[in-house]
Amino acid sequence: MSDENGLWLLLAGPAGATALYWALYRYYRNTDKSHAFERETTIEATPVTGTDTKVGTVKGTQATRIRGDNLRDYRARVRRVESADTGTAQDDRRDAHD
Amino acid sequence: MSDPKLPPPLPARPVDGPGSPRDVPPLPGTHPIDPATLPGAIRDELEAPDPVAIDTASAELRDGINRCPKCGSTDIRHKPGTDLLVCQYCRNEWHGERVEEVFGFGEGIDTLTGTVVASGARDIAADAAALMSFKCSGCGAEVTINTENAMTARCHWCRHVFGINEQVPNGAVPDAVLPFHIKKDDAVARIRQFVDKRRLFALKAFKDQFKPENVIGVYLPYMIVDARASAAVAGEGEIETRRYTRGTDNNKKTYYDADVYHVERQVDFTVDDLPLESSAERGNLDIQANTNNIINTILPFDTKNAVRWNASYLSGFSSEKRNRNIEHLRPRLEDQLLSIARAQVEGSARRYDRGVRWEHERLDVHGTRWVSMYLPVWLYSYHQPGKNGGLLHYIAVNGRTGETMGSVPVQQWKLLLAALTVGTILEGLAIAALVTMA
Repeated sequence: MSDENGLWLLLAGPAGATALYWALYRYYRNTDKSHAFERETTIEATPVTGTDTKVGTVKGTQATRIRGDNLRDYRARVRRVESADTGTAQDDRRDAHD
Repeated sequence: MSDPKLPPPLPARPVDGPGSPRDVPPLPGTHPIDPATLPGAIRDELEAPDPVAIDTASAELRDGINRCPKCGSTDIRHKPGTDLLVCQYCRNEWHGERVEEVFGFGEGIDTLTGTVVASGARDIAADAAALMSFKCSGCGAEVTINTENAMTARCHWCRHVFGINEQVPNGAVPDAVLPFHIKKDDAVARIRQFVDKRRLFALKAFKDQFKPENVIGVYLPYMIVDARASAAVAGEGEIETRRYTRGTDNNKKTYYDADVYHVERQVDFTVDDLPLESSAERGNLDIQANTNNIINTILPFDTKNAVRWNASYLSGFSSEKRNRNIEHLRPRLEDQLLSIARAQVEGSARRYDRGVRWEHERLDVHGTRWVSMYLPVWLYSYHQPGKNGGLLHYIAVNGRTGETMGSVPVQQWKLLLAALTVGTILEGLAIAALVTMA
């Protein structure tokens, strides 16, 4: 990418065409839209509690974010663990979401 | 051959064993076997509280006829733009009861336990038919209403208006209805405005056939859920401690050092009036197969203003019957509660500037309350022919707030041409820049 000849500039054409195609397609079809229940529902929550324990360090990585960052990806399900209330094991619900 | 001298046989011994009609039914919550002696899983199931039903049926409307309280006429309609009912004969107007106050649906969410079900949200009887017949008290004619798509009908002889007001066990009658506020003209204008902004690359056939006056007012079935839950998430987060570059001028690379933390978060929360589609077709939000996400997007509604069920509100509108029970919708509710919990804990993990990777999540739903409701939607639809039966595009207008969302079919070649043209221009500029640099 960061070639000294600046050849990466040649990607501008295909990248621009693809970006414009998807932007317009989404503007017409709105396939990315759904009800934002996380924001638009009346929710009353107690203050969040929790613990933070240092478990290690990372040295000299080139990645700008942690691998598999899903802090803001609320609807991506991760492994569901046993519920304390019912005592029943819950399955992995990685699929169905809006 | 029986001997005539012998006495007649004794009557059979009265049935009095367990389960016989003389058997006194056990008290609610008691069991013939002490549950303490049973294995844990069975005991838990036996001792779990039964779903509590709140009866929202209107006994006074059971005969299908809704009479004007002033003159007794049955020709009652909803007054557009309001929550009022109006008598077409004497113009008397009155307001339906708000379920929020009548049944206390807005209260006690923070103490909810178990599954509380309003009577209109009960399970659908498997053998219930969609057709309901009424005997007209005016002329004796039989009037049939197909509850799949209509809730009112007029007697073809004496013009009495009938409505499905009894809570029939086929899921057609919800607990409450939210009347239309947005009038048809308004909906047409909104749809026209939405499409006018998307004409350039729209499918030609769509533009040719576009007639927003064909919009239809439909009451769609939803379950409105209150819930009390606790959630916990765990994973790893990273905080950047150092950033540095290595390499020569032309080959510089940035490196990061970070501290890794094990992060756990818990939150208790209540959710008020979360709407879930209770029609299987409408609840299928697979964007590859349909455009139902459009209808989903115009949520939420001001469900606090919903009035007690009265079929007169549906006069002149189409409706769709519910075909999903609470148990079908529970996985979707849990999925949404988990998403809400994740959104709630986000703020508490901001110090992890390299992000957090949640790996486990847990949800305990302490209590839920389910109310079945009809919500008003103006729907304009266009069927695009194609593979596998084509695709049905919707433009939907929220019948209360006017929020509009739609899917406009695209003329692919036009869109590709535009993209290629812009791509070519950009490429030309890039080559020009390279030549200049050389």
